[in-house]
Amino acid sequence: MDQHKRNILAVAVVTALSLGAAGCSGGGTGANGGPGKGGANPATGNLGKVVGGAPAKGGTLTVLSNQDFTHLDPARNWVMGDMDFGTRLLYRTLLTYKAEPGAKGGELSPDLAEDLGTSSNGAKTWTFRLKKGLKYEDGSPVTAQDVKYNVERSFSPDLPGGPDYAARYLAGAEGYQGPAGGKHLDSVKTPDDHTIVFELRKPFAEFPYATVLPTFAPVPKSQDKGPQYDNRPFSSGPYKIESYARDKQLVLVRNPHWDPKTDGVRKAYPDRIVVTMGLKGNQIDDRLITGSGADASAVSWVNLRPESTPKVLTKPDVRARLLAESTNCTEMLQMHTGRAPFDDVKVRQAVQYALDRQSVLTASGGPALNEPATALMPGSLFEGGKQPDTLKIPPTGDVDKAKQLLKEAGKPGGFSTSITVSTGDKAVAEAVQQSLGRAGIKVTIETVDPSAFYDTIGDTKNRTDLTYTGWCPDYPSGSTFLPFVFDGRYIKEKGNSGNHSLFRDEPTMKRMDEIAAMTDAAAANKAWQELDGQILAKAPTAPVVVERKPLLVGPNVAGAFGHTSFGGQIDYATIGLKDPSKSGS
Amino acid sequence: MILYLGRRLLGMLGVLLAVAAITFLIFYVLPSDPAAAACGKSCSTERLEAIRAHMGLDQPLWRQFGDFVTGIFTGRTFGSGPYALDCSFPCLGYSYENAQPVWDLLVDRLPVSASLAVGAALIWLALGLGAGVTAALRKDTLTDRALMVGAVAAASLPVYFTSVMLIYGLIRVAGLLPYPQYVPFGSDPLSWASNLLLPWLALAILYAAMYARQSRSSMIESMAEPYIRTARAKGLPRRTVVVKHGLRAAMTPILTIFGMDLGGLLAGAVITESIFGLPGVGRLFYGALTTGDQPVILGVTLLAATFIVVANLCVDLLYAVVDPRVRY
Repeated sequence: MDQHKRNILAVAVVTALSLGAAGCSGGGTGANGGPGKGGANPATGNLGKVVGGAPAKGGTLTVLSNQDFTHLDPARNWVMGDMDFGTRLLYRTLLTYKAEPGAKGGELSPDLAEDLGTSSNGAKTWTFRLKKGLKYEDGSPVTAQDVKYNVERSFSPDLPGGPDYAARYLAGAEGYQGPAGGKHLDSVKTPDDHTIVFELRKPFAEFPYATVLPTFAPVPKSQDKGPQYDNRPFSSGPYKIESYARDKQLVLVRNPHWDPKTDGVRKAYPDRIVVTMGLKGNQIDDRLITGSGADASAVSWVNLRPESTPKVLTKPDVRARLLAESTNCTEMLQMHTGRAPFDDVKVRQAVQYALDRQSVLTASGGPALNEPATALMPGSLFEGGKQPDTLKIPPTGDVDKAKQLLKEAGKPGGFSTSITVSTGDKAVAEAVQQSLGRAGIKVTIETVDPSAFYDTIGDTKNRTDLTYTGWCPDYPSGSTFLPFVFDGRYIKEKGNSGNHSLFRDEPTMKRMDEIAAMTDAAAANKAWQELDGQILAKAPTAPVVVERKPLLVGPNVAGAFGHTSFGGQIDYATIGLKDPSKSGS
Repeated sequence: MILYLGRRLLGMLGVLLAVAAITFLIFYVLPSDPAAAACGKSCSTERLEAIRAHMGLDQPLWRQFGDFVTGIFTGRTFGSGPYALDCSFPCLGYSYENAQPVWDLLVDRLPVSASLAVGAALIWLALGLGAGVTAALRKDTLTDRALMVGAVAAASLPVYFTSVMLIYGLIRVAGLLPYPQYVPFGSDPLSWASNLLLPWLALAILYAAMYARQSRSSMIESMAEPYIRTARAKGLPRRTVVVKHGLRAAMTPILTIFGMDLGGLLAGAVITESIFGLPGVGRLFYGALTTGDQPVILGVTLLAATFIVVANLCVDLLYAVVDPRVRY
């Protein structure tokens, strides 16, 4: 889904007030590109490693955050870090990702289910059998009906915001409005308490990946409080909520009814997990760089701010506590392909060549925390976990080639256009402005408050020619990237999302349908990768950077790594403390 | 007096209604759509319509406003069926962003903002009045000049600058204080105060400077009044002359601005709370602005307006106490 940026406003208070970036939903497998060209990247020393060694059981882990969770209700949770937090600590899903650093984090593991599910009827029917002995926080058993109930809840208009995979794939889901009116989905069957069967409207070989999403967590009907459930999800995981003051503090304590023997993924080391919210980003950075007292047992929820990067990278002992897993989200300069001058492929290619990705990268946090993008899909969706360099454009651009393309397009003198960015991306827009200016393309910058950003660029008639947004795959497959960003049939006149280049290309759409119908996952994967290059050659967007998620952990924290499938957020299934007695509880 | 009070209370209601109406109108013309924000990405048109209906956004504007106003007095219910949300008196709307009635959110955050405002007010009153009176009594001396130059300097420092400097100096370099993290007064008064000390100072420095200047000129004026000369001539002790006759009369204009300042701050010090990460009304407001959480914005605006008009009324009533010449 779209990379929700909450790089919030500024005006005169930019240094004091700017918050970090919020997450985006989705995930992805794969190792990372590793250090960029030209020497080792000091920020990526911990890639693929677990920081702090093996944790001991007990103690209080503190999470320092500048914001509240968007939604912890499993029917509504679709922000990457929040999905990590929810599914690793509070509720279990049919399947989940393995708790391992690097590419292994993209592999599936059974969770509520006994195995990875069995398909029949040409991948149109999927059956999962639940383990025995699964319990909620009050000791009552987890049933297949509860999983079905939460899938149904996710259709309620009162409970918006969650993943829409169920809506997109389940048979007979059109127009369904949730279980509140007493209506149920016939395409989800529960022949007994431990079996759940999903009937899909079309074959979907990757359905097991979708069951990792919080939509497929159990919610007992007796506990459902509609929108209020967001404040107190009922636990089926290793922790339950002791108290939750929105935007202030969340305290988790052990769920005594969670049985580790039924759980092959979660380790649940700390006794308590306390999330302190609403802190300032710079104060979080400073506290964790110092790492003394209770902060030694703390981790950061939000990205290390670019201003703090030098303070971390220059100190080996602090640098050793920095996680910098790739977010696997590609940030793109989106061009309005539906009107002049960007309806001309040569003009769009000229932008690709004129763009100085290196300077955009500097503007968005520097080379330690970003890599220039060389393809559309992030590295996790390619062989070896690395983006191919499809167009072979130098990172600083090729101005001569851009000018030549403009000449061929009949615009030798360039032209004027404008870009809309979220307030926090102003520096990025300026880098774009400067680099395109080299080829004679004059860009006017319009900044929009983050709260209105997606509405503004979703208005396809009135929006500017250019905009800057990203996309993250929901799970490691090209099917969660390319169709969302480049399928012209998803374009809406207002509230448009995903396909911000308004790219409508018949051969591309035809090919997408063909690949989606493939039952051989490896062949489909290969086909998506090829299609990536074909789309890039038609230049609807210029891929700019793939960002990392830099997170600091305190010196007493152990078992920490950024999970590739949760956008680089710390895997909360395995984190703990070296010495629990030092955590002050 | 009773008549006066009644007239003022009626006027207050009018002001609050106007504030609510204007805030409502502003939202109506703004581009952001709370339903779309709640719906998230890849939101279908039908689903968006259903959410809009649930939030009551499909109603005409006058109807929404009418529901809002009656809801304050009678409470109301959002949506229908098993997921209906009960928002009881005084219902200021429901924040879908926080999944809580706006009133509950405000009540939850108010102690933080009040702690900040009252603590800072005590400090700035002490510092500001002290400096102002001292300067006035030593008019045109070196002390006066030094105090007033200091006040101009302090008044020119924006609160975000002072805050960052204080954090840097007292926390990061000297390590004297913890990074502020709100602790309720009831659970530990000592750490409540130590955590709030820095935000208090940051706010108080700015206000103290303004109060020093205000009280100095006010004091100079009142000390030149004929009744001061009379009091002196009667042989009253200097202390009595200054405090009972001079300061008391000089308080009237200070009380006016103090009422406004405190009233405004009770409804949240947006920048201070945001910089120090205090979960008060100001930060709630700031968060609501960035997420487009309209019910909360409306609620905080109304709360702020209420505090200010109430503070104004209190000030007007206090005039009569402070200045015997005033009668209603």
